Amino acid sequence: MPETLKFHFTPADPPRPDEANPHAKESTQVADVIDQLRDAFGEAIGEQVVYAGEHTVFVDKARLLEIAQHLKAELGFVYFVDCGGVDRFTDEDRFEVFYNLVNVADRKRLRLKVRVDEDDLHVPSVVSVWKAADWNEREVYDMMGLIFDGHPDLRRMYMPEDFDYFPQRKEFPLLGIPGSLPLPPQTPRGPLTMDPYAAAHGSKPVKSYEEPKSEEEE
Amino acid sequence: MAFDMKEGYLTTTVDAVLNWARSNSLMPMPMGLACCAIEMMAFAGPKYDVARFGSEAMRFSPRQADLMLVAGWCSFKMAHTIRRVWDQMPDPKWCVAMGACASTGGMHRCYGVVQGIDNFLPVDVYISGCPPRPEAVLHALMDIQEKIRNEYSVVDDYEFGQEQPVPTTQNNALLLPEGETIITPNVLENQ
Repeated sequence: MPETLKFHFTPADPPRPDEANPHAKESTQVADVIDQLRDAFGEAIGEQVVYAGEHTVFVDKARLLEIAQHLKAELGFVYFVDCGGVDRFTDEDRFEVFYNLVNVADRKRLRLKVRVDEDDLHVPSVVSVWKAADWNEREVYDMMGLIFDGHPDLRRMYMPEDFDYFPQRKEFPLLGIPGSLPLPPQTPRGPLTMDPYAAAHGSKPVKSYEEPKSEEEE
Repeated sequence: MAFDMKEGYLTTTVDAVLNWARSNSLMPMPMGLACCAIEMMAFAGPKYDVARFGSEAMRFSPRQADLMLVAGWCSFKMAHTIRRVWDQMPDPKWCVAMGACASTGGMHRCYGVVQGIDNFLPVDVYISGCPPRPEAVLHALMDIQEKIRNEYSVVDDYEFGQEQPVPTTQNNALLLPEGETIITPNVLENQ
């Protein structure tokens, strides 16, 4: 009986003290910004994590938009660097969205994180605050299936628009689901090739075919 | 061929003359998809100089090309475009899968990349390498020339243009090691 493939998690690194990160910059030490946020929003600002000399703060999903507006207008975080999704594959708060923000004038870098539960995949969109979030949020939607409320144009980014699955979720098979992504037909008028391994299963595309008729002839 | 014969004529076959002309004037359609395309440019450039083999005229319109060089990894989305471009090339035509990715999917063993363009295109020559050296591309071109001289006949032109049967496969499941469950389209719903 051959052994079935196991699912391997990447082991978590133990936390290390700040001074152990030779690349840590002063700009990522933003405890003061997080304190200011806490003063303004109180309970909505959650846990604060320092890892490798970088401050990360978890915020409440419901008040994300307010916090984003405050960060941009009052605290000067005008540069939206990046945003992405994480599938933690846990029972509760399965997904996570991170936002990397920069205050260019004061040279500060902040990472915001939002936890999203599998039962409620909605996240407020921050496109109204930072225009740059547009395509990043589309990418997270495409790969993870998180729905960004208030996004102006929430379409798939990479996968075809009629694709049914979210490929970066942990349960998605690495080689995809047969039949979900059709290959082109083997002849111009033939049906789509639904088998992704047609060649391995003995199909050999024909060298030539009936030439498609011109529009005048049809 | 002896041109200095006093008789002033020589005998040959139509195939020999046409294939000689065809093989020495291949017009490649550069389907550059990834880093292999850089090597393909070197192959066309002055150092490796494909002009020595008569293929220096890269045609960016498929209607003027008779050799398609698929260079780089091909996603399922791009496959439809490539097939469309291929369909627009006039017969007779040839196809080269350049590099590991175009031939087999290469290191991109994942859901988004076609595991070899021969799943939807009739490939004549595969080139190994990641990316292949320009010499290897030249060698593939010489193989195509060889193929034209030895395998192609103008009689094929009669056959070309006729409707041919669509090849089909019955097996829609992934090739899996023994004992593993077969992944079907409703695999996620059953969890």
